[in-house]
Amino acid sequence: MKLALASSPASVESARKQPAIQVSNLSIVFDTKRGQMIAVDRVSFDVAPGEFVCIAGPSGCGKSTVLNTIAGLEVPFEGEILVEGAPVYSPRPDVGMVFQQPHLFPWKSVRSNIAHGPRMLGKSKTEAYAIADDLIAMVGLKRFADAYPNTLSGGMQQRVAIARALANQPRVLLMDEPFGALDAQTRAVMQDNLLALRDRIKATIVFVTHDIDEAIVLADRVLIMSAGPGRILREVAVKLPRPRSSSVMVEPAYLSLKKDCLDVIRAEGLRAFNQSDAD
Amino acid sequence: MVLFPPPTVVAAAVLEWIRSGQFFSDLLASLFRVTTGFIIGGALGILLGVLTGQFPVISSLLSPLFHILRPIPPIAFVPIVILWFGLSEAGKLFLVVWGVFFTVWLSTHIGVQKVDRGLIRAALMLGTPRRQMLQEIVLLGALPYIVVGLRTAVSISFYTLVAAELAGAFAGIVYRIEIAQQNLQTGQVMGGLAALGLMSFIADRLFAALAERIVWWR
Repeated sequence: MKLALASSPASVESARKQPAIQVSNLSIVFDTKRGQMIAVDRVSFDVAPGEFVCIAGPSGCGKSTVLNTIAGLEVPFEGEILVEGAPVYSPRPDVGMVFQQPHLFPWKSVRSNIAHGPRMLGKSKTEAYAIADDLIAMVGLKRFADAYPNTLSGGMQQRVAIARALANQPRVLLMDEPFGALDAQTRAVMQDNLLALRDRIKATIVFVTHDIDEAIVLADRVLIMSAGPGRILREVAVKLPRPRSSSVMVEPAYLSLKKDCLDVIRAEGLRAFNQSDAD
Repeated sequence: MVLFPPPTVVAAAVLEWIRSGQFFSDLLASLFRVTTGFIIGGALGILLGVLTGQFPVISSLLSPLFHILRPIPPIAFVPIVILWFGLSEAGKLFLVVWGVFFTVWLSTHIGVQKVDRGLIRAALMLGTPRRQMLQEIVLLGALPYIVVGLRTAVSISFYTLVAAELAGAFAGIVYRIEIAQQNLQTGQVMGGLAALGLMSFIADRLFAALAERIVWWR
């Protein structure tokens, strides 16, 4: 009892201070036919518990590689990655992932796709299905609980993938351009869905996108990355009010943020262009 | 008359075949060889295909051997099968199993290797342990390929039946064709060929219908 009393304030304090994700000096080198290619060059950033961070950058800048590394899917790497204070070597169930493609199991119904994670963590079928049904309601797919993935539209499939990733109640949710393959209209709807969903779950979210609008609409903070090698160029805090929706895109505060981001990207684009000219 | 018997002669020969009761014992003997050989060969093919497809160590041990043995036509084994097994039923099953196994093994092996990496990564992120990964993701992911291999193997099991029953049998459709040919009963030969074709055709249709149910999510 004494021990608990003595330790609890300290642990609360450390939990408050400890970031959900700490990436320090992350470098990733790929072997290619033309020799070694530095995909990610000494990237460092922290993500606070419950924060929504977007990593934005051109294709090939290594932003997905960074995300896969946090997920434990990309080894080997140099540097250190801590999730909830523990180093990452392999996938772990308190870190959920939504990929660019839904990657739903085609032979499982919507319900049993979502129930897969809880079942793998030892929950009974009844418990797992109860969790799945709650999430199905949350993503608005009640009518499709027994449908197979190939009968759903791309947007619906991605909603199932999000629900599936949330079923294990991850502390950290990683999203790798999840709306990249959707048409513009569906994408806006999905962004609004995600914003609404985010207010109901407590997970820390890292979201990778090449779309600067998407990044600003969703995030508390945007990390802008550059290509060749992948580095973080600039960090932009998004202080737009929440609850937020995609209609924020016409506000003056939004437009000035977007201008800041575009200036950074344009300067970097020019630099890269001149450099490639000099080569 | 002897070389090209008219349909009436063929029909009469078939009727006599059925009436004597020999047709059904021949049919049963052939069906037994085909189905038993198919089941054993198919099961072995799926088992080893999953092992070589999933585990590189096992693949580097077995795949080269299988690739050397695979192109040898089963009929070339008839002499050695007679030496090994005599005229027993085991020798005939061996030939059918041999034919079925390699087809099913190869398609399972390829199917396991072609399972979408994205599904594996998604399953890994959800905490799927090794055993469930094999049962629920890899095996089901490979199932469409396995079914195609099995369907090809249905026809192959009938090809190898011919080799098996020419290797000295006492009953069977092909055995009956062989005997009839020796007795210049060409009508019976034609009837036997028709029966063989019909059996193979029905088996293929039945398997096609079954395949629709095996791959239930399509």
